[in-house]
Amino acid sequence: MHNAALPIVAEGLQRYFGSGDDVVKAVDGVDLQIQPGEIFGFLGPNGAGKSTTVRMLTTLLRPTGGNGRVAGFDIVDEANDVRRNIGVALQDAAIDPLMTGTELLRLQAVLYGLPKATHATKAGELLERVGLTAAGDRRVGTYSGGMRRRLDLALSLIHEPSVLFLDEPTTGLDPMSRISLWDEIRRLNNDGTTVLLTTQYLEEADQLAERIAIIDEGVIVRKGRPNELKADVGSPTLFLNVDAEATQQATTLLATFGELRPSPEGALGVGLDAGPSAVSNVIRDLDQAGITVRHLELHEPSLDDVFAEATGYRLEGADT
Amino acid sequence: MTTLDANTEPRSVAGTRTWPAALGLMRRSLVNITRLPSAFIPSIMMPVFQAVAFSGTFFAIIQIPGFPTDRSINWFLPLGVVMGSGFAGIGIGFSTINDLEGGFYDRIRLTPAPRRALLTGPLLAALSRSTIVTAIVLLVGVLFGARPTHGVLGIVPLFLAALGIATIGTGWGLGLAYRFRDMRAAAIMQLTIFLVIFLTEAQTPLFIMEGWLEQVARINPFNNIIRLSRLGFLDAPMTFDNTWGGLLAIVGIGVGALWFARRGLDRLSDV
Amino acid sequence: MTDTAADTRPKRAIELTPSNAAQTWAMSKRSIVALWRQPALVVPSIIFPLFFAALGTASFSRATNLPGFPAVDSYLDFALAGAIVQGILFGSTVGATALATDIENGFFDRLLSSPSTRSGIIIGRMAGGMAYGAVQTLIFIAILLPFGLTVKGGILGVLAMTVGGTVLALAVGALMSAMAIKTGSSEAVQGAFPLLFIALFFSSAFFPRETMSGVYGRLADFNPISYLVEGFRDLTIEGFTFGAALNAIVIPSVLAVLTVALSLRALRSRLGAR
Repeated sequence: MHNAALPIVAEGLQRYFGSGDDVVKAVDGVDLQIQPGEIFGFLGPNGAGKSTTVRMLTTLLRPTGGNGRVAGFDIVDEANDVRRNIGVALQDAAIDPLMTGTELLRLQAVLYGLPKATHATKAGELLERVGLTAAGDRRVGTYSGGMRRRLDLALSLIHEPSVLFLDEPTTGLDPMSRISLWDEIRRLNNDGTTVLLTTQYLEEADQLAERIAIIDEGVIVRKGRPNELKADVGSPTLFLNVDAEATQQATTLLATFGELRPSPEGALGVGLDAGPSAVSNVIRDLDQAGITVRHLELHEPSLDDVFAEATGYRLEGADT
Repeated sequence: MTTLDANTEPRSVAGTRTWPAALGLMRRSLVNITRLPSAFIPSIMMPVFQAVAFSGTFFAIIQIPGFPTDRSINWFLPLGVVMGSGFAGIGIGFSTINDLEGGFYDRIRLTPAPRRALLTGPLLAALSRSTIVTAIVLLVGVLFGARPTHGVLGIVPLFLAALGIATIGTGWGLGLAYRFRDMRAAAIMQLTIFLVIFLTEAQTPLFIMEGWLEQVARINPFNNIIRLSRLGFLDAPMTFDNTWGGLLAIVGIGVGALWFARRGLDRLSDV
Repeated sequence: MTDTAADTRPKRAIELTPSNAAQTWAMSKRSIVALWRQPALVVPSIIFPLFFAALGTASFSRATNLPGFPAVDSYLDFALAGAIVQGILFGSTVGATALATDIENGFFDRLLSSPSTRSGIIIGRMAGGMAYGAVQTLIFIAILLPFGLTVKGGILGVLAMTVGGTVLALAVGALMSAMAIKTGSSEAVQGAFPLLFIALFFSSAFFPRETMSGVYGRLADFNPISYLVEGFRDLTIEGFTFGAALNAIVIPSVLAVLTVALSLRALRSRLGAR
């Protein structure tokens, strides 16, 4: 598919702040090609350039260099067309605390130029969709963090955008709220919406995204499907327990499948050069050698490993 | 235009027109101010207080030979109106600083509403607030003895000056809000609006002043606006000669201030 | 502070019974330093009164010939007293707002749960404001002198005004602090500020009571600020008299006794409510 037809394209996108010796290269040449109907995860620590990239793609910030197209329109020259076709849920869900949920949705409907007759029904539908019907007439100042996020999502959906940007949608949410937001994002995606999701949670990217990009210091350091990226990091590790007297024989045998790896007390570990499919061969060979397998575990490399391998450090609080 | 895959075809949304968007933003601004009594009540009370307190405190100045009115409230009522309208304008700047600091302004900028609606909406809100303030100060002023000397027609220049100052205050306030994006802008707005209004015939006519203030007031274009506001309340006749200076100042400074705001809005995407 | 004794002593746990004076001093230092470090909050309380004095002098010089005006060389001499009182009203709000902020962020509760004395906390909080009140008085006089201000009361007059300014800062600071302790909201304290401004306007701070009409004049007659300002003013335009000095010092002192009592009561009820 030609680049121009993709929902989100960035070519050499750059954003520098400051000038001279103090210049900060917040985003330094980002390329993205996001496919229609995809959930794309943009992963990186705070300050890596995720939000800056999103701000450029959503027309809030002018790029220093490079270019981008969203929903087929240039993000600088056709900014208003871009705005018409995208929904954006912002980091921290910054919503006017003095207004009620319903008022905000109706204002949003006005600003997106929806026909006046549809405003009330649209607001009602969206409130119901995100489970805020009862709170619709309360001021946002009284909402919990999770409620604000849900309202923010509803606000970004008022004009049924084809492309949705979610900037750290679950940061600071409790696990329950996070999971319900994930469900909503999947539902939107099933309806055909392309989603670009930034996150600093590896698990979130792993759960939701079909493809991810890892950004660090303004540069994309890895890009691809989570499984492929994990596979690139190295072979999966097979841990198994055998009877103590068979340990020596089993170790020799395992070494033929790949390098031996550190393992928990009493277990043996081996990296499978041929990938997960080698497990059946291992079992068969052990069986033929008359060794009984007591316990077996296969450990795929995690996104955390991918991240660590790509950046040289691990994300704080990463789920492993 | 590029041909798009079925999935990504823009779901057609009619272009947002300026007026409905501006009215929506105006409504929001007006509703919000009533929800912030700590900002709303002073914005009404201060101009009333200023008109009444100045005319009470400086009651004696009407006795200075040649003073253009024999009612001190006639002299100070328009000043209260002008000050209140100026603050109605920069009040828009204050709430925009809040929106910018809190991030809500990003939401507004993300919408396809025409950029001029982002200015005209708040401007309409400021003009409404100015009209309300003017009406209330006028009402209280009349209760305290103010009498328009040229009948109901004399109220027209008062409203014109009020709306003019509110426009200038809005443009200036928004422009500063966009540039500083924090409370520093609020301090500058207050100080400047205060200065330009007081460095005029705000307290006494030019011929009574001495020294530096007279020099400053003479060249301060805001003096023309203050004069315009007082036209219907003084003994001098209301003529076009007395009017055009104020109108010109309003149009000139108003256009400049709104241009300043527009430039600031466009530059928001540079930072 | 004398740390030499501590150096020679063997190290041990923190002394839990320091003198009240030391505590009060520490609190005072904190409040003075806080003012010093926030010029943006403090500067307006110097600039605005000076601006109004300058504006008034240029606007109202011809008004000083009107019946009811005392004999003055210029409106500037007349305006000094109002400028000082105005500046102190402005400045004293800053400290009280800081106190309300302490309450909002919980620092005040930590102070209260420390072994510091209650009055030490309050007086310490006011000390910054009081010092600032004295400084303001002197700054206004010093800045306006080159512009033609004459203080007929001389050194004694300046001294009396400085004392009066200090006590007035305590009186206003305590009033606003009572407000801060009662509401625990810095917004409420700032919201109350216009009330002070209104009280100032319904007094003879800017024009003589004798020139005011009807009800407005009566209000100014009842307003203690009128007499306080007139004390300062007489020291400026007439010369040092004990009567004027009494007005300038005793009126704020009486106010201070009342407002300090009010703030201590607010503190007690806050402690009782905990």
